[in-house]
Amino acid sequence: MIEIDLTMPRLFTEGPGELKMRIALESGSLTVLTGPSGAGKTTLLRLLAGLEMPHSGRIAVDDRVWLDTQQRINLPPQKRSIGYVFQDTALFPNMTVQEAIQFAAPKGDQDFVNQLIDITGLRAFMNQKPAQLSGGQRQRVALARALVRRPQVLLLDEPFAALDSQASETLRQVLLALHQLWKTTTLLVSHHSQDTRVLANRVIRVVQGQVEQDEQCLNDELPSIVEPITNISYQEEHRQWIIQTATTQLRSTNPAWGQRRVGDLIQVSSSI
Amino acid sequence: MPIDWEPIWLTLRLASITTVLLLLIGVPLASWLALSQFRLKPVVEAIISLPLVLPPSVVGFYLLLTFSPASGFGAWLLHHLNLQLVFSFEGLVVASLLYSLPFMVHPVQAGLENLPVSWREAAYTLGQSPSRTLWRVLLPNCKPALLTGIVLTFAHTIGEFGLVLMIGGNLPGQTRVASIAIYDEVELLHFQTAHAYAALLLALSFAILLLVYFVNKRVTV
Repeated sequence: MIEIDLTMPRLFTEGPGELKMRIALESGSLTVLTGPSGAGKTTLLRLLAGLEMPHSGRIAVDDRVWLDTQQRINLPPQKRSIGYVFQDTALFPNMTVQEAIQFAAPKGDQDFVNQLIDITGLRAFMNQKPAQLSGGQRQRVALARALVRRPQVLLLDEPFAALDSQASETLRQVLLALHQLWKTTTLLVSHHSQDTRVLANRVIRVVQGQVEQDEQCLNDELPSIVEPITNISYQEEHRQWIIQTATTQLRSTNPAWGQRRVGDLIQVSSSI
Repeated sequence: MPIDWEPIWLTLRLASITTVLLLLIGVPLASWLALSQFRLKPVVEAIISLPLVLPPSVVGFYLLLTFSPASGFGAWLLHHLNLQLVFSFEGLVVASLLYSLPFMVHPVQAGLENLPVSWREAAYTLGQSPSRTLWRVLLPNCKPALLTGIVLTFAHTIGEFGLVLMIGGNLPGQTRVASIAIYDEVELLHFQTAHAYAALLLALSFAILLLVYFVNKRVTV
C-alpha cells in the first residue's frame, strides 16, 4: 500500500493555488492519472520520486516512510525504490541500449536483465544509441531501464504522448505484459483515453492540484466479472467510498457510489 | 639571426601544465557551480571571472605582492615549502592557473547547465550518486564544452604577457616565454626574429584551434 498525503503551493494553468493530494494506492495496482495540462499530475510523480519537496506531507510505501515533513524524513531519489520513465525518456546519448540498462542494473542479476530485454523487445537494438532509435523504441528502453532495479513503484510521465498509434499500442502491450508479470505498483500520467480503458485498474482525475474524480476502471473492452456488493462504507480520512464484494474491495471518491446498495451488482475486474 | 627555441618550449610547457592542472581543478569547480544551489554561488562566480575584466597588470601586481617573500604568504611558502613564486617558473604556473581559471570553468559550467535536467534526475532515480552521475552521464555528454575549455585555456596561456612580465620578469630559460621574447626582440629592433616568434605562435594557435574544431565537429555529430 502506498499512502500519499501531500500539500504544496503551486502555480497552475488557472493561477496560483495549492496542490493537495491524499491518495492510497493498492500494491500491485496500475493507476492512471488524468486531467488537464498544468493540473499537477507530473508534480505528483516528481514528489513521489523525491525530485521535488512538498510544503508538508507524508509518503509511506508499505511500512517504509519515504517522506514525513513533520518528522523531517526525506529520502533522496536514490533511496526510494522507484522507476521513473520521463516524458522525454531522458536516455543518455553516450550509452547504447545495453549500457543504459546495465548502468542501473544490480550486479549479478543478468538473468533478470535478459528477461527484461526480451519482454521489451530490445535485443535487436542492444548496440544502438538513443539517436538511432525511434520514439517507441526509446520509450521501451526507458521502461526497461526504469524496471531494472525491480522498483516498488513505477512512475510513467506521458509515455505515449509523442508516439504514433502503432508505437503506442506496442508500448501498451509491453507495459501490460510487464505489469502482469511483476505487479509493480504503477502510476501513469496520460491524456490518452485508450490507456485508461486498456491498462488501468483505477483512474484518478486531477484538476488544479486536487483529486476531482477517483474511480475504479470499468474496462469496457474486455470481459468483466460482476459480483454483488456485500458492504458499502465511507472512509472519512480519505473521503472515499469503499465497496466490498466477495472477492474485491473497490474505492472511489465519486459521490454517486453512495447511491449504491448492498446486493447491487458491480463490475469488479476484467480478465486481464 | 638564428631563433632561440627556449621561449617556445617554455611557453608550450607552461600552457600544457596549466591546462592539465586546470582540467583537474576547473572541471570539479565548474560542476559544482553548475549543479549546486549554494546561496553564495554568485560571489564565487564573480571571483573566478575577475581575470576577464581586470587588466593583466593589475592581477600580476597583486599576485606579485602576495607571492613576494616580503609578504606573509610569500614568506610562509619560502620558509615552509622552500618555494619562491616570484621570478620563477612555478610562480608563472600558479599565476596562469588563477588567470586562466575562467577560461576553463565558464565553458564547462555552461555545457553542464545546458544539459537537460531530466538526465541528472533520471540517473538519481536509477540510484546513482551525484558524483557517478557527473562522471558517467554529464561529462561524457558535454565533450564539446570540455574541448572548448581546454583550447581556450591553452591558447590564453600561450598569449599571456602582462601577467608573466609582472610575476616572472624576463629570465631566459625560466620565465622568458614567447610573448616576452617577441617584446624583447622588437625593443632591440630585431624585427625578423620577432616575426619568426610571432609567426610560430600564430601558426601554432591556428593549428590547435583547427584541430579542436574538427574534433568538436566529430563528437557533436
